[in-house]
Amino acid sequence: MGKRLGWATVTVVFVITLNFFIFRVLPGDPARAGLRDPRLTREAIEAIRVRFGLDKPVINCFESLNPVKFGDCAVNPLQTQFFIYVGNLARGELGVSYHLNRPVQTILVQRLWNTVLLIGAGQILSVLIGIIVGVIAAWKARTSIDYIALVGSLLAWSLPTFWLGIILLFWGSRELGLPIGGKITPGMSFASAKELWWDVGRHMLLPTLTYTIVFLGEYMLIMRSTLLDVLSEDYILTAKAKGLSTFQILKDHALRNAMLPMVTIIALNLGFTVAGAIQIETVFSWPGLGGAIFEAVGRRDYPMLQGAFLLLAVSVILANLIADLLYSYLDPRVQAE
Amino acid sequence: MQATAAATSFRGFWRKLQRNRMGLVGLVMLVTAVLVALFAGAIAPYDPKDPVPITIDDIYAAPGGEHLLGKDDAGKDVLSNFIYGSRVSLTVGFFASFISIFIGGVIGIVSGFYGGRVENLLMRFTDIMLVIPDLPLAVVLVALTRPRLSNIIFVIGILGWTGTARLVRSQTLAVKQRKFVLRARAVGAGNWHIIRKHIFPLVLPLIVVNTVLVISLAILNESTLSFLGLADPTAVSWGQMLNYAFTRGATSAGAWWALVMPGFGIVWVVLGCTLLGHGLEQVLNPRLESHHLSAAAPITAARTERLARRDLARGPVLLDVRDLSVDFEVPEGLPVHAVENVSFTLREGEVLGLVGESGCGKTTLMLSLMRLLPAAGRILQGEVNYLGKDLLSLSEQEIADMRWKEIAMVFQGAMNALNPVHTVGDQIAEAIVRHQGARSKAELEERISELLDLVGIGPERKDQYPHQYSGGMRQRAMIAMALSCLPKVLIADEPTTALDVMIQAQILELMSKLREQLGLAIIFVTHDLGVVAEMCDSVLVMYGGVTAEYASVDTIYNVPKHPYTQELLKAFPDLSRPSEKLVAIPGYPPRLDVPPPGCRFAPRCPLVFERCNLEQPRVHRLNGDHLASCHLVEPK
Repeated sequence: MGKRLGWATVTVVFVITLNFFIFRVLPGDPARAGLRDPRLTREAIEAIRVRFGLDKPVINCFESLNPVKFGDCAVNPLQTQFFIYVGNLARGELGVSYHLNRPVQTILVQRLWNTVLLIGAGQILSVLIGIIVGVIAAWKARTSIDYIALVGSLLAWSLPTFWLGIILLFWGSRELGLPIGGKITPGMSFASAKELWWDVGRHMLLPTLTYTIVFLGEYMLIMRSTLLDVLSEDYILTAKAKGLSTFQILKDHALRNAMLPMVTIIALNLGFTVAGAIQIETVFSWPGLGGAIFEAVGRRDYPMLQGAFLLLAVSVILANLIADLLYSYLDPRVQAE
Repeated sequence: MQATAAATSFRGFWRKLQRNRMGLVGLVMLVTAVLVALFAGAIAPYDPKDPVPITIDDIYAAPGGEHLLGKDDAGKDVLSNFIYGSRVSLTVGFFASFISIFIGGVIGIVSGFYGGRVENLLMRFTDIMLVIPDLPLAVVLVALTRPRLSNIIFVIGILGWTGTARLVRSQTLAVKQRKFVLRARAVGAGNWHIIRKHIFPLVLPLIVVNTVLVISLAILNESTLSFLGLADPTAVSWGQMLNYAFTRGATSAGAWWALVMPGFGIVWVVLGCTLLGHGLEQVLNPRLESHHLSAAAPITAARTERLARRDLARGPVLLDVRDLSVDFEVPEGLPVHAVENVSFTLREGEVLGLVGESGCGKTTLMLSLMRLLPAAGRILQGEVNYLGKDLLSLSEQEIADMRWKEIAMVFQGAMNALNPVHTVGDQIAEAIVRHQGARSKAELEERISELLDLVGIGPERKDQYPHQYSGGMRQRAMIAMALSCLPKVLIADEPTTALDVMIQAQILELMSKLREQLGLAIIFVTHDLGVVAEMCDSVLVMYGGVTAEYASVDTIYNVPKHPYTQELLKAFPDLSRPSEKLVAIPGYPPRLDVPPPGCRFAPRCPLVFERCNLEQPRVHRLNGDHLASCHLVEPK
């Protein structure tokens, strides 16, 4: 427990450091380049310079990293850009969006919940359906049902998320009259919360469907393969000898054991989940974090990009930690250690 | 020498892959894609780089005429763009995966081979990189550098190695322990030599399978980056075609051709990789995809001619097994005759010892009594009468109702026979609830405590998990579980192998006690003749799937008739005659897919004569209950 927490912390520290240096080392030094943005007023530029310490050295001994310029090593470490960045982070400040001229953190926090809503719905559906299909395929291994499920899953896995989204959008908006994007119909007023959620639901339908199809295949494949292993274990034979029905054996003896690797895979998949979110939110103009990354890239809005990446990475690390803890809850052998 | 070995193994591998439909389809798909990319110039009707004057009608012109797949937003031929696009997508896929595989392979081999602090450091770093979402990082990196093709390849390459590193490391760890590596090290071969000559060739097949997967991921990542607008404008890939079409109004123009084709290309290549990877995986790590819940083979048992029922003065007959034969079907091979014409009876309170070397059909015989054979096992003939009911003709539901309630079984090696994620108490409760209905919780708890107490386990341990028990305790818990529904017959399949002598004695004592207290009939499967002498009333000696000898325990020990029984007894120490030498039986039990034409024991029998190699002996009745299958005992 303590060890897992420790490693999650190390990873977060690594991401924070990486996030700072990538933006300082790679061409353009965006923090400075941004100051040349004609959209900013002179006062705003001065405020940013002071707030982010852009007049200070990057870290000790380095005046700037791109191009590399050595500097004074005897500076107070607290007076370097890196520590000012860390300090700002600690206060929850991620900078000011060049495009919207508002603090990045306020924009991103709103958007985070939209992403959580979309990923949550898609994740629940794809895990559930993937598990059910995987169980059926493993149980009926080497029959035509199994074969169809297997090829179907491999196909689903091979679909580029954004392309499936585009095709579904094309079809859904033309044939079913579903909205072509966004979270709610703009300019509409809602009489009740029920109406509002009905509208949001209509907007969510296609993105969630895309998400579900893309992730379903992998979950099905993993479930099928682990369940095949579990069903060959001695304790399944014991359960059968006890006179339990096939359904009981699957439910009480096979599924929980097969869920152990599933939890790990779901956790490892969270990185891909985020990749999926970026694509789906872009296609369906869903106002989430993934969409924010896409917009920030298009507008060269570096503080926004930096903030969104950090928030995404930290969310994935936290979700991984939760999955780890869940694992030790599911497997009594891990608890004992 | 090495080259020829590699060539033959490659040929064998290729033959197996040809039989694997998925793998072959995937390979064909990939090869077509590569050919299209190579000969794009010859196949494509137009060169996308040629400037063409366009009018308003050319924008998203519908398919037809010279333009089979219509035109895009710039009035260019979609088919030609599609064909040329394959070049970019495949180039990125191959080069990026080359970088990933190289980094991952080096990290995996180095950390697996050197171990210790190096491994710890590298694997921790891999774990950290694994958790960081790679697409957003790729987006950031490409956005901050210039989106040139080489940059994109490099970024995708350096982010895609984590999976490979982990796989290669675990394979290296496994290979490192092999004998020839240890031997090479013992004769003083250097690390680099061992890695190059011994480790790398064995890790390579895994790397090849993994490469296919990494290529598909790289192509997906490239198309995603291009779709997000991070693409080299001088090299238009399928992802970028989609980006143009999507951002330039193909959806509202209804130009499905501009949207469908590029995606189709990506799916074609990625699906080809996936199918090929899946096929390679199946060829390299074949596994039997049948399990304990696979539908059982239909029973084709024909009733056999009834012999005169043996009359014994003791208790009523519980189980009467006649002429039971079981085959195992082997894919692309001859069926294995695991059990052939075996008969025995079991009376109330009787302990029957089932003796024979490993692989002579003991466990198969026991599993077929409860119809628990794996899917490949098929009961060919015979009867299993339990209190007058033929168990082989019952429906699945009826046999499930009989299991555990009438006949329970303690399996060989109870280490894995208990489910690791449920408490021992819950696993016992489950059987009681199944067969005796749900009782009150308190009553159920009390019954479980009683059962555990019976086998000498403190009732407070019922809420513990199997891993908290010692090996002996687990075996005793299995026995408690087997007794939970008060069965009339208990099958104990080598319940004491792999346990130390003290615990063995405890378990045997427990079983004798239970038999006296509960009037249980026990079938005791074992190699241990000492245990048989001590516990059993009658003994069935099996050899190569057939009955060698069947008689009361006194007869078997004092006047064994079958040479196999005689040899077995010579191999077993007798305390009353300590001066006699122990003699092992030379040779091995027969292969049951190609059994010897005559007597199965003939190749190892000290008394073998001509007829034994030609004709399989029948089971002869000597006097009363003594059965033996040997030409030497044939009544005149």
